[in-house]
Amino acid sequence: MTVDHEQQIRTNGHSYEEPVREILVMGHPTLHDVTSRIASIVESKLSIKYLLTLSVTLSMLGLGVAALGYTIMTGIGVWGLNNPVGWGWDITNFVFWIGIGHAGTLISAILYLFRQRWRTAINRSAEAMTLFAVACAMSMVLGHTGRQWLFYWLLPFPNQMQMWVNFRSPLMWDVFAVNTYGTVSLLFWFVGLVPDLATLRNYVRNSFARKIYSFFSLGWTGSHRHWHHYEIAYMILAGISTPLVLSVHSVVSMDFTVGILPGWHTTIFPPYFVAGAIFSGFAMVMTLLIIAREVLDLKQFITLKHLDNMNRIMLATGMMVGYAYAMEFFIAWYSANPWEMWIFQNRAFGDYAWAYWTMISCNVIAPQIFWFRKFRRNIPLMFVISIFINIGMWFERFTIIATSLHHDFLPSSWGYYTPTWVEVSIFIGTFGLFLSAFLLFAKFVPVIAIAEVKAILPGSQPSHKHEHGHAHAEVTGH
Amino acid sequence: MSDRSLHSANAAPWKSLESLSGAVDYKESEFPEEGPMAENVVSRRGFMTIMSASMALTAAACRRPEQRLVPSVKSLQTAIPGMPLEYASVYTKCNVAYGALVKTREGRPIKVKGNDLHPINTGRTSAEMQASLLSLYDSDRLRRPRVRKGGGGTSYDNALLTIAEGIAEAHASGKKAVFVVGEHASPSYAALMQHISEAIPTITFVTMPSIAANNAAIANRAAIGIDAELVPDLSKAKVIVCVDADPLGADPLALYHTTKWSQRRKPVKANKSMSKMIVAEAQYSLTGGNCDERIKLHPSQVEPFLAVIEKEIAGSAALGSDVAALASAEVSKHAMETASALKGAVGESYVMAGRHLSPRAHAIALNINNSLGNVGAGSVVDPSMQIPFSGDKSVAISALTADLMADNVHMLAFCDANPEYNADRAFRTAMMKAPFRVAINLYEDETAEVCNVSIPGTHWLESWGDAVAFDGTLSMQQPMIAPMNDGVASVQDSLMRIALKVGERVSIGTLPFTAEQKYADFVKNRWYTMMSASVSNTDAAWRKTLQDGILIMPHMPAASLTFNGAAAAQLSTGQYTSGRVVAIAPSLSFYDGQYSNNSWLQELPDAVTKIVWDNAALMSPATAIAIGAAKNDDPKELALASQNVVTVSTEHGSVNLPVWVQVGMADDVVAISLGYGRTAGGAVSMNVGANGFALASGTNTTQYMPLKNISLVAGTKYRVATTQNHHTLDDGRGERPVAKWVSFHDVQTGHLESLEEEFPNTGKDGKFLIPISIVPDYEYKGHRWGMVIDMSACTGCSSCIIACQSENNIPVVGKDQVLIGREMHWIRLDRYYVGDMSNPISLNEPMLCQHCENAPCENVCPVAATTHSPEGLNEMTYNRCVGTRYCLNNCPYKVRRFNFLNFHDTEKSPLDLVFNPNVTNRMRGVMEKCTFCVQRLHEAKWHARDAGRERITDGEAVVACQEACPAGAIIFGDTNDASSRVAQLRNEDRGFKVLSELNVRPQITYLAKVRNS
Repeated sequence: MTVDHEQQIRTNGHSYEEPVREILVMGHPTLHDVTSRIASIVESKLSIKYLLTLSVTLSMLGLGVAALGYTIMTGIGVWGLNNPVGWGWDITNFVFWIGIGHAGTLISAILYLFRQRWRTAINRSAEAMTLFAVACAMSMVLGHTGRQWLFYWLLPFPNQMQMWVNFRSPLMWDVFAVNTYGTVSLLFWFVGLVPDLATLRNYVRNSFARKIYSFFSLGWTGSHRHWHHYEIAYMILAGISTPLVLSVHSVVSMDFTVGILPGWHTTIFPPYFVAGAIFSGFAMVMTLLIIAREVLDLKQFITLKHLDNMNRIMLATGMMVGYAYAMEFFIAWYSANPWEMWIFQNRAFGDYAWAYWTMISCNVIAPQIFWFRKFRRNIPLMFVISIFINIGMWFERFTIIATSLHHDFLPSSWGYYTPTWVEVSIFIGTFGLFLSAFLLFAKFVPVIAIAEVKAILPGSQPSHKHEHGHAHAEVTGH
Repeated sequence: MSDRSLHSANAAPWKSLESLSGAVDYKESEFPEEGPMAENVVSRRGFMTIMSASMALTAAACRRPEQRLVPSVKSLQTAIPGMPLEYASVYTKCNVAYGALVKTREGRPIKVKGNDLHPINTGRTSAEMQASLLSLYDSDRLRRPRVRKGGGGTSYDNALLTIAEGIAEAHASGKKAVFVVGEHASPSYAALMQHISEAIPTITFVTMPSIAANNAAIANRAAIGIDAELVPDLSKAKVIVCVDADPLGADPLALYHTTKWSQRRKPVKANKSMSKMIVAEAQYSLTGGNCDERIKLHPSQVEPFLAVIEKEIAGSAALGSDVAALASAEVSKHAMETASALKGAVGESYVMAGRHLSPRAHAIALNINNSLGNVGAGSVVDPSMQIPFSGDKSVAISALTADLMADNVHMLAFCDANPEYNADRAFRTAMMKAPFRVAINLYEDETAEVCNVSIPGTHWLESWGDAVAFDGTLSMQQPMIAPMNDGVASVQDSLMRIALKVGERVSIGTLPFTAEQKYADFVKNRWYTMMSASVSNTDAAWRKTLQDGILIMPHMPAASLTFNGAAAAQLSTGQYTSGRVVAIAPSLSFYDGQYSNNSWLQELPDAVTKIVWDNAALMSPATAIAIGAAKNDDPKELALASQNVVTVSTEHGSVNLPVWVQVGMADDVVAISLGYGRTAGGAVSMNVGANGFALASGTNTTQYMPLKNISLVAGTKYRVATTQNHHTLDDGRGERPVAKWVSFHDVQTGHLESLEEEFPNTGKDGKFLIPISIVPDYEYKGHRWGMVIDMSACTGCSSCIIACQSENNIPVVGKDQVLIGREMHWIRLDRYYVGDMSNPISLNEPMLCQHCENAPCENVCPVAATTHSPEGLNEMTYNRCVGTRYCLNNCPYKVRRFNFLNFHDTEKSPLDLVFNPNVTNRMRGVMEKCTFCVQRLHEAKWHARDAGRERITDGEAVVACQEACPAGAIIFGDTNDASSRVAQLRNEDRGFKVLSELNVRPQITYLAKVRNS
């Protein structure tokens, strides 16, 4: 492809683009610009700033590993859990992280199937986030059991004990749901990466790095045949992932709904949890993207248009969870079940009222500001709101778990739960894991899907007005 | 081996060493020589292949050789390894004897049960009696003597020698050698002491109770000429009035009273009758919580209340007209109502005065009982039912104090007595005047620390003895195990040897024992002599006494009584101080603190307050507000009051204690439990709570003391550990109560609608509805275990908790863990209050695994570690548990207990000998809960199978809590067996199931508490 050709596409594209639809890549880069802009991140030297940040996140991870090690050596007793409250920060964090992962799948799979082209700028990092979040969530479930070294008993495998797992247990469903989710997300992410890894293979000068990229690009040559298979594979994986967006968190919510505890035993949970997961996932993507956009200078690709769209989704899902909160109260009252009525009254005005109102403020009230376009495009503001939503969604899970458990049926067994430094450290550790992984990803893997972005450059898509079909092949063939 | 090479292609295949060595294989001809076998030679490569494959297989399947190992067993002659042996013995609580049955395994006692044959406790036990087992193995016990005089050292002989020399010195100087002994009920011990002091007049013995209460004996002596306490039979009383008395709580007789009282508290279809109990009190006692009508009195009104009743009943023969005049109008009104209730039950009622009340109050109560015809042979109060050795001891103790102050005592020895901890200041000052002090106690306790010589005492499970019950039943105390100290014999043995050693130095009278004889021989000889008078085969009779644990002595009918009103009217009355007073009460868990170094008892929730590992200054909400510990009477605010520490002082001393708001108490009363605040005698009890004896008077420990001062200690934020949330009074659950009660009137008229279930159902199973379900019911073909708990009989005494703890190796977790909420008890006693916050009664609901048919814990376990048995048990497989805690979360009764840490790690040897070998000790990370004593069910089944039966009959399988329950409130059995007690009782009108609307279908039926008001 010649520079002239690219120039032509660019100018043509500019003139053909519909004025109403905002362009998704700013600054009219050429195809080469896109490649070099994104691939250069991999080639550039490690900056002090990067290393400092990484050392901080690795320290957090180290703290978490140490705290988890201490837990495994001593017992779950080093946490604050007690007899009425058997789950606390452990499962709160698990649900929180699983929820975070949902944005990635939603963006990758559902938005892909719906041909939402704006997703291309953010899908790669969102998918990576999904993977890292699932890893964090898995570390929480594996770490939360009393005898962590027997974690494999949760897997159905033939064994000398002749014991099979209990398929009636929602925790068992969780094992399948989360494992499926992790596997599919990894495959989806990796398949999407193959063309870009090939690009990097061609781009990098370091021979060692080239070998690595070469290995992982699976001999990609960019042939039409490759592209053909790639598109099919990607479409199939997107198809497989799509139900997972709905199923994983539905299954997670069944950990609670199958229980007979007032505050857990409600049918609204599956949709409510899915909405909440997308809500929290988008908030987390938002938080990270705003930082990445600044630090890695990706404003060209991650435009205000993207952020605006994400804010709209957050507004919508935030209203959904708000509706669910209200509906829980309505049903509790409508059921005339004294246990239900009491538990919700206790949720809002009991010992954990502070957690409940933190959740309401962060999840329901804060996102309302996104009704206004001005605020949807105000970066510092949306950054703050996204953090609020992260906090609020964590508290949502905490409220569901801790307030329902600490005061249940028999008043004689009521208790109160306060976490210890160990649990806090483990939570910090999961953030360490998440952020460290994200930093490494951002440095060594193309954070933006190069091939896909090229497809949404102005003029790169086929148009009924002019020479469609021609540009498409050219663009993707790079 | 032959020279045929295995590698040679020509070598013939060989089958065995025999064939290889040329021996004829007779089976060789089975296969023709030219057959395929001959062709099948092993090539080099083939051989290597086979060898390597078999090596690999061997390595993969490395097994131990299958050989039988024959262990060298050094077994006890009488014991079969693995089979328990039970021996009868006797446990003495102060001077009340209870029959005990001690289960031993491989020579070590592992459980204390009641002796069914003993008429006093009829097979039931108290919490303390069972927990005393743990003290046997206490690693903090004194192991060897300690001599701080002369040569010193730790030799037992030297210790005895030093004491004997001390007595000889006393003899030489004409001073006294006094042995202060603790309370006991042993005729042989008493005889031994008498023999010794007769032979050696220098030696005198003084009995010193830890909690002094002589007034009942003083009153009885004056009024009816009996210097002893009388024991009523509450099962014979239709109306019981307790005036500041706590017969069901912290009383040495509580076990007996509970068994008797409960007999008339269980109205069933066949017999709808029950007694009525009225309690007038200042504190909130266990008895008060269990009564039908409770009258809250200021301490100054307690005796006037009693006197008004007397005036109503005895009229002109009243002894307390002067006291009755002090009653306020309201108290008089209550008293008159009480009197009319009593009048309705002439000959079948009982008025009990608290042990600490004045001699006159006891005389007044006796007068009431006498006037109502409740006293006499076979009546509620049988004058022959006298507690042995319960006479007035105050005279002897004050004489001793005077002797000490006059320097007349050279040597002072303490046997099972700890006055440095529990006596008043006057005695403690006096005892230090004795130049030579000796202690023979179980622990190196406060008293032993200030003694020149300290010798280890022995536990009741490791020494010989005897005890007589108040009805005359004699029991032998048999040792189950050699003393766990370094071989030091019992107190009585030590006394015998000391006496003999004294005899070597100075001339003494004759002793009825020799140096070769032990106390065991002394006891045996004594009873042999007595039995030989009436029995022909004394050996057999003696053996039977040991076997049964009892010897019923011929009962002496009481002589007809003459009530000496004139003498009784002269008795002193109490001091009726108005204003704030301190009430000192024995601890419900361990009475005087003798066994306070016992972690089972320390972690046993107080039956009223549910406090563990602490005592507190209990007070009413108004008093807490008045002293500034709470701002208002909002329950949350009152709960927070316990963060305050107050200094409480009386004329005797002061202590610092956390505040605890106890509803139902009279205002201006501060109640404090004894037995805490130990400063020596074991690591468990040290620094737990504060010593209430410091506030008490010496002559009447539990009497009300005027409060000198109470003030908040600034800047403290204390945390009191309880096993039950504090504010359970107003839980907002009025519509669907979990603990139910009905009035006696409702029971009589059959209006028990409040107990009826209401949910969608498919019919009835007996009394209970069958909830609709989409899955078919499981059919229980064999046994189906179930339980009935009668809340009407349950007093909350907590004996079941210790029974379970002992049976099932339940660990103690310590105060820190209880504060977080990690106590491990499999059965707990939920206490709910009903009624007005100022004067509620309590409902005790024993709560344990309900073994639900639709158990919510079972379906959520991902690894199937908790499953349902074909006999309806909800089983927990510890090995399989990975510890997700999901079952705990999903249990609506919250009876599952998680091993958050390795709680058994803290048990030091020899404490681990206490474990029941039939029950696995659980490691950390594993869930546990009530198993319905599945090990006992299996044992019963084995016995039935040995006897050729397929099923076990009702009563063969007894669970630990049921076995211990003094009230007989727990009934366990096979609900598939229509004739079983449990099958009949579960369909009683009073039956209800806790949370049955959840469709979990619990197997435990509760019988609602009946309140006769």
